[in-house]
Amino acid sequence: MASIAVELPALGESVVEGTISRWLVKEGEAVEADQPLVEVTTDKVDAEVPAPVAGVVQALLVSEGDTVEVGTELVRIDPDAEATASPTRLTEAPPPQLGTAPAPSAPTGPGEGPRATPLARRAAEVQGVSLEAVESEGRRIRVADVERHVGAAPGPARSTPPIAPSAATPASRREEPARRDEPARPAAPARRDKPAFLDYELQEGDKVIPMTPLRRIVAQHMVLSKRTSPHVGAVAEIDMAGVFGVRNEHKRAFQQSHGFALSFLPFIVHAAVRALREFPRLNASVVEDAIVEKKDIHMGIAVETEKGLVVPVVRHADRLSLAGLAQAIEDLASRARSKKLSPDELKGGTFTLSNPGRHGNLYGFAIINQPQVGILRMGEIVKRAVVRTIGGEDAIVIRPIMHLALSYDHRAVDGAPANGFLHRVRALLEEAEFDL
Amino acid sequence: MGAALEVRELGRVPYAEALALQEELREARRRGACPDTLLLLEHPPVVTLGRSHRSEHLLLDRAALAARGIELFEVARGGDATYHGPGQLVGYPIVDLAARGAPDVHAWLRTLEEGVGAACAALGVPWRRIEGWTGVFAAAGEPGARPRPRKLASIGVGLRGWVTHHGFALDVDLDLAGFEAIVPCGLAEVEMSSLARELGARAPADLGVRAREAVRNAFLERLG
Repeated sequence: MASIAVELPALGESVVEGTISRWLVKEGEAVEADQPLVEVTTDKVDAEVPAPVAGVVQALLVSEGDTVEVGTELVRIDPDAEATASPTRLTEAPPPQLGTAPAPSAPTGPGEGPRATPLARRAAEVQGVSLEAVESEGRRIRVADVERHVGAAPGPARSTPPIAPSAATPASRREEPARRDEPARPAAPARRDKPAFLDYELQEGDKVIPMTPLRRIVAQHMVLSKRTSPHVGAVAEIDMAGVFGVRNEHKRAFQQSHGFALSFLPFIVHAAVRALREFPRLNASVVEDAIVEKKDIHMGIAVETEKGLVVPVVRHADRLSLAGLAQAIEDLASRARSKKLSPDELKGGTFTLSNPGRHGNLYGFAIINQPQVGILRMGEIVKRAVVRTIGGEDAIVIRPIMHLALSYDHRAVDGAPANGFLHRVRALLEEAEFDL
Repeated sequence: MGAALEVRELGRVPYAEALALQEELREARRRGACPDTLLLLEHPPVVTLGRSHRSEHLLLDRAALAARGIELFEVARGGDATYHGPGQLVGYPIVDLAARGAPDVHAWLRTLEEGVGAACAALGVPWRRIEGWTGVFAAAGEPGARPRPRKLASIGVGLRGWVTHHGFALDVDLDLAGFEAIVPCGLAEVEMSSLARELGARAPADLGVRAREAVRNAFLERLG
């Protein structure tokens, strides 16, 4: 019998990944059937994954602290190998746990189609590709395999594993499972920390910057979003004179009572949130083949920190007054910069506003923050000459103008609601009826 | 098997003892040697750290905790730091989710929230969920531009295979000062509250007994 792979079980419908919090066994150690092998943490749950069979731990395939998707192989157990450590007591094997169905390393069973992780199946479905056509580097098709197939790369480059580390299959894992005549392989598999390059040969003097975990998450998210959502852009030119007026009127009093300056950001959030109430289609997610319009509005605000881009979320932004929004944004932004945000404060956004800040530019289209369907990006506010009709006469006047760019997911949102939404944001800002 | 739930009320149990009992029960449950069981009890003062705890969320060190008569445990459950003490109703459901045909940890967290929430509602304290923050929160708002959510119950779960342990802790009339030792569940923005505090003058004298009854009934209704 060949070795058995133990995968991260599907812990629930909405659980897509888990973090390896602790290994409970070592390589070369004998384990009983049902003995806990590893602790995996996800949200408020700590799950122990038990061994599906008795045997010897051949290789731990992931490290503590790694976050891996459901279906990832965690550890291999060889039921036939001799223990290199003295065996512990043996008991009768109880029925296998539903949550930890062993994935035999034998080839596909009859009539099952290719083996694939649930995420890979979903990805293939989204991309409209047949799993039969996808080449896998492992025994199961993974998201990375599907992406590679869709990306029409000329087959996997054998000598150069792909860059994305968590999606990559390190070379050592591609090997055939240990044959019976081989001893249990105690050697640790190659770890993922070596950067590798596709189609680029390092030149003298090049600087190699390994991706930080945050950078990797951002990179993966951007690719996922662009592949998932057909982005459409629309831009509104907004006269901010009214908002300027309100802000100037209250600036001093606000600073005195709140201890920080009143910026333009809360005005824009406030207008966006009100418009979202009227156009719920923009406050939505695509879930399977349905569109879910969300009851609550939680506004993500993209903030640049020295560690990179983070998007803290103002919860129930529609329940907050303008001053309340200003306070919440100030609080989140300052804690984001001092790295004091809890992970929960970065989750659960239903729409996002991106503010490039002082070094902004005319306008630009942001990538949608999945699983949302829309994102606004502020352009710089610049005084421009515009034409207004004043007292029946056309006149060129000087006004502070901001371009506001909306990217929306055309799967869920058609032009009409998107344009209606953006138009409404503009009207609210130009009318500038804000209570302070 | 499967759907029956046995509720055991144990009174005040030291944390280490309750941990050992849970361990014993979940092994028995996995062998099918006992039914799904809900342990209801309370602990002497103790701070426990879940697997996702961050050290900065423990505001006092071990010695300072000991000086206040508070024990410290690091345990195999999800979540961050929490505090248990007299006046808090702790529930440890040892439940085989696979046998119930519901092997889904998120659904289980929601079931725990619903059970505890229903008990709070039955006692006259409306509850709500906050998306992204597992737990049971008081629904009634407080004035102010940015009220802090008030948490009534914390939830953190452990699984071996599909058998659950750990569970929930409902603040009945807990001395909330104990939470000063930690940032509860890593949420600095959350204020810990209790049924007694929410009810104020409406709190009955036998709130502890009633809370136990309400929780017992809520879970028997859902899991019995």
